[in-house]
Amino acid sequence: MPAALQSFFSYLALAAALVNLSRRKWSLNLLALGIQSLCLFPALTSILSTELALIQPFTGLMVTLILYITLISVGGIEPLKWNFKLSSGEVFRGLAGLLLIAMLRAFMPVFQPAVFPQVPSQHLFLSLGLVLLGSLQVGTIREPFYLAIGLLTFLAGFELLYSALEFSFLLEAFLVTVNLSLAIVGAYFIIKNAESSSE
Amino acid sequence: MNTVIIWIIAPIAAALLLVPLQRFPKLSAALASFFALVLAVSAFIFPTELVLELGTNPIILEDSLNLFGRSIQITGIDLKMIGLLYLLCFAWNTLSHFFRISQWFNSLSLAITALWVTVQFINPFLYAAVIIELIALVSVPLLSPRGTPARKGIIRFLSMQTLALPMILLSGWMVEGIETAPSAQELILRGALLVTVGFVLWLGIFPLHSWLPMLAEESHPWTITFLLTIMQISLALFFLKFLNQYAWLRNIQGLNLILRFIGVTSIFAAGTFGIFQKYLGRMLGYFFLAETGFILLAISFINQDGLEILRMSLLPRALSFLILGFTGSVLYQLTGTEEPEVDSLRGMIWKYPMTSLLLIFNSLNLIGLPLFMSFPYKNTLHNLLSSSNYALMIVMVLGSLGLLVLSLRIFSSLIHPQEQEDLPSLMLVDKEHPILIFTIVMIILLMVVGGIFPQLLSTPLGDLLQPFQNLIQ
Repeated sequence: MPAALQSFFSYLALAAALVNLSRRKWSLNLLALGIQSLCLFPALTSILSTELALIQPFTGLMVTLILYITLISVGGIEPLKWNFKLSSGEVFRGLAGLLLIAMLRAFMPVFQPAVFPQVPSQHLFLSLGLVLLGSLQVGTIREPFYLAIGLLTFLAGFELLYSALEFSFLLEAFLVTVNLSLAIVGAYFIIKNAESSSE
Repeated sequence: MNTVIIWIIAPIAAALLLVPLQRFPKLSAALASFFALVLAVSAFIFPTELVLELGTNPIILEDSLNLFGRSIQITGIDLKMIGLLYLLCFAWNTLSHFFRISQWFNSLSLAITALWVTVQFINPFLYAAVIIELIALVSVPLLSPRGTPARKGIIRFLSMQTLALPMILLSGWMVEGIETAPSAQELILRGALLVTVGFVLWLGIFPLHSWLPMLAEESHPWTITFLLTIMQISLALFFLKFLNQYAWLRNIQGLNLILRFIGVTSIFAAGTFGIFQKYLGRMLGYFFLAETGFILLAISFINQDGLEILRMSLLPRALSFLILGFTGSVLYQLTGTEEPEVDSLRGMIWKYPMTSLLLIFNSLNLIGLPLFMSFPYKNTLHNLLSSSNYALMIVMVLGSLGLLVLSLRIFSSLIHPQEQEDLPSLMLVDKEHPILIFTIVMIILLMVVGGIFPQLLSTPLGDLLQPFQNLIQ
């Protein structure tokens, strides 16, 4: 795949993670999570065979589906309205995320050869970007749905990084199990919260 | 036959079989206890050669199982460790049906124990980090049962456990080839930092301990004491595995001093923060933090029989937490409150004297007062610390004093009735069932006998640390 196209998908994945960090619209967040998962595929194909590179995006889509079905069952899905009116909290989180990405981009030429010399720069940028945005989301959010998305983003970034360092079928199987379990836990929290708020 | 099938796959299968039985708590508890007991006893009595002579045909067990090109290996010398973990599972399952806990407790506790066993024996051992994350996720229905919204503690717990995962996995990669590298000081420091932060996040060690009291406050005492006890013991053994496997880690200059410092700081933090707590659950969390500190302290004296002290402390500590969970659960049941405050215990000793007495005795036991089972190992640690670092000794004593004040607060609440109430009559004693009274008397006796004859509780775990050959030498 041409480097420019790969770079485009990396930025698209980061933009999706940034949307999840800042916006609070369940339908939009699920869409962004799905896009984020799909955009990992080009980065993965550069280091793994196509069959293996499909595992992570496919798991991501499964996770999105689990959360989507759960949200439908509790009546949490509303049609997407494309209004761009942002609250101050959303602006703050968005800017904080952008700052992190900008800082990462700035430090990448020094950081990559010193710590992860065997990982391609673009690959490292995408993976660490997702790790940072995921951590920021986990640190600033209390609602279980967004926590699940934050943890999934964090893990997606880490898996991407680790796949460039070492690949093991057993570890991959474990990580898929962790992702699916995390989605189930997220679904469990959503249902619990819906039940207790309706009581 | 294979050891992995017996002690990992079979219990997970049993846990799955128990899922449909969750509506029958007594049956489910009895079966889970039975499975756990059989697994514990078989692990304790099975010969280390893994050959069982039954009649003319000896049964020879294989010791490893391959999974996707990697393996899980349980050899004969590892069986004591497995026995201990299933013993904990048995202890908590036996009494579980007396308390109003999650209906998933029996099946999940069995599965969680099997997963902790996997953590100890998977190869490469760094993959255990992912299993620990899985354990955290599997524990969610126990820690946050349906009917209540997800609260801060569980959310923070999950976040911390997930953040620890990359630290541990990356530490292994970071120091790959370190043994042969000519100058690897920087890599060693990076690797050590990742391992340390990973364990600090996992165990909830000061200053990243905030989830511990929160989670203890939100969860049922029986459930949380089980999960934290098995986690604390398993992670302590897993940390020893790190030290045993990585020569670069155990040879770091000043590692013992760092561990000692972290341990003492945790004890001090537990004592200091514990004093100001209102809720009993949070106090329980701080007792856990203090005990994690004592574990680190014991490991820090690795060159002065620290591992022996750690082994000596495992059963008394587990028993103390079992008792803490038991008294906490009984008080939850008796007071009818979900989150009892210290003030809600006012005058309780006059209504429920035996339960209150057990709570007081156990708090004093956890502080390490003479005559109780925690005294021998805590006394040894005090002596070792006072001879090696006087400043740290003073900090630890201050922490222990904080825990003593915490216990005295509980005691004061128990004996002072509500202001408007008269001193209740001892006639109300009959609210405690005779079986409960008998059980409590036996537990108190065990606490005292364990204090007078410490070998009683340490002998059964005689060869527990055999797998850590590089640390024993």
